[in-house]
Amino acid sequence: MNRALLMKSILEGRLLLASCMTTMLVFCWTRVWLVGHFDMSRFETVIEQFREWERFSPVPFEHLVTHTGRIAMAYEEPILILCVCLWVIARGTDCISGEIGRGTMEMLLAQPVSRVQVLWSQASVTIAGLALLALASWLGLYLGIQTNTVEEQVTQTWTIPWLRIEIANPLAAKEVVRRPLADKVNPAHLVPAAFNLFSLGFFLAGLSTLMSSWDRYRWRTIGLVVGIYIVQLTLKIVGLASDQLAWFRRVSFFTAYEPTRFVSTAVYHPESTWSILLRDEAGRWTAPGPLGYNLILLGMGAAAYLAATIIFHRRDVPAPL
Amino acid sequence: MLIETRQLTKRYGAVTALEGCSLSVPQGEVLGLLGPNGAGKTTLLRILLGYIRPSAGSAVIGGLDCHRQSVAVRRRTAYLPGEVRLFGQMRGRDVLRFFAEVRPGGNLKRSHELAERLELQLAPRVAAMSTGMRQKLALAATLAVDAELMILDEPTSNLDPTVRRVIARIVEEIRRQGRTVLFSSHVLSEVEEVCDRVAFLRAGRLAHLQAMHDLKRRHRIRALLSGPMPPPPKELAGELVIGRDAAGAVVIETPGEVAPLLRWLATLPLTEMDVQPVGLRSLYDRIHDADAGQAAEGTRIP
Repeated sequence: MNRALLMKSILEGRLLLASCMTTMLVFCWTRVWLVGHFDMSRFETVIEQFREWERFSPVPFEHLVTHTGRIAMAYEEPILILCVCLWVIARGTDCISGEIGRGTMEMLLAQPVSRVQVLWSQASVTIAGLALLALASWLGLYLGIQTNTVEEQVTQTWTIPWLRIEIANPLAAKEVVRRPLADKVNPAHLVPAAFNLFSLGFFLAGLSTLMSSWDRYRWRTIGLVVGIYIVQLTLKIVGLASDQLAWFRRVSFFTAYEPTRFVSTAVYHPESTWSILLRDEAGRWTAPGPLGYNLILLGMGAAAYLAATIIFHRRDVPAPL
Repeated sequence: MLIETRQLTKRYGAVTALEGCSLSVPQGEVLGLLGPNGAGKTTLLRILLGYIRPSAGSAVIGGLDCHRQSVAVRRRTAYLPGEVRLFGQMRGRDVLRFFAEVRPGGNLKRSHELAERLELQLAPRVAAMSTGMRQKLALAATLAVDAELMILDEPTSNLDPTVRRVIARIVEEIRRQGRTVLFSSHVLSEVEEVCDRVAFLRAGRLAHLQAMHDLKRRHRIRALLSGPMPPPPKELAGELVIGRDAAGAVVIETPGEVAPLLRWLATLPLTEMDVQPVGLRSLYDRIHDADAGQAAEGTRIP
């Protein structure tokens, strides 16, 4: 790895990274703050009316009304995904077609550096930045959990004199108290969601770099990646909506992005939090586990990076227009 | 030979950018590359640097294959592209630092000296620099490299005459250090001034190679006669090229000493005479005109 190339990549991406990190951190903290201020249990009956829409929910509604479930839903929020996509698509597409389009690849490759070095110095910064973004999202949630309180109705108790025994007093009005959110939510349960966000970003970074590796116009590369993103998202939505077209989900990479479900697994089946495959009660493999889905995204991203490296290594570098 | 190309060819589909280019450049020579736009100059340079792979033929620099060993080739080479584009968000001094650091043995001190010599301010960001300033910045970064081979593609474009003179002097210094320069330019006077040899490219082919010291000995005489033109004496006839221009004047070209020719011309019934060195301009025009099928009798290169 060439230090000067790395520093150049950091310099080019630092402002975007800093703003995305700040946005994610602040958004996640705010998301937790909101969770602490709305008592979702009141909406349980309302949610019941929408039971037929549950198929679009990554987890059963029962989990969504828990504090952990509601906080984990932050990873389904467009703003969080947008920040990650912005970073990986901006940096991934800039890697080759961006440099070629601006004409700066000409001066870069005039130096005694290999094309692999040029690509991977950019890619390393993109991946490291992505890890920081995922960390910022988790950190925002962690800080939110540590600094916010949640309202709770407590049944008043009645202490029997001399015996010092407390018994519930169902006749008394319930007392409203605020408790630290940290008592309700374990931030460690949210780590699989943050990792899933990283995996999605890694795949998109690889895809952007792959598209960039053969192209000479960055705008076209961005258009292609965004197009693929929209098509894949549509496939997943259609696959969820229709039983006949359920197989669409299998060809959408968004099927592997299930942060809320992985958090639910961490809460209710902690033994499967980092499993590659899930087993049924008879011990047979049934579906990919959280780590399995992440490995699918990471594997596809790695394959895309490898293909990009080969394509860029072999292609002609066109003169700037 | 430092540079050796054999039957170098580059095709883009049906378009042939370079065809059968065989060229040898010895160590320490300044070779000019001349030709109209699209003649194949930049394609040749880009193959030498490993940016594009040849469709056929081979290119070798210092015994290293330009495609398969391009990093090693670029370790021995400094290249200034024809269209300089630098990193817009960097300041001038950051650009120089970057290029000094990215290359093992880069010389930041020398870059700063060159920037000073080119009267370049390093504080502004590249995005805020004029085209000429960016060219100077790229020159300071490129010429500071102590490389065996300098490839300069139109190094003086967008520069004022004073800076052009400085560049010519720097190229002369490089030549004196025994280093090799490939100097591609459209400014014929510059090529004439700095180059030892000139390669003319035309429609992707190497059309002509001219040693500058031979060209400097060559003269052209344009004369109007009041009577018929007698045949030249036997001792001169073999080396002269005689023709007529559009105005009917006799045009005589001599590749060597002009004195014997003048002695013969003094015996002719001349009404007007003009003696000029042939120069790169006429050679260039002839090669270009030959390409366009406009070659007139007596204007062929012997």
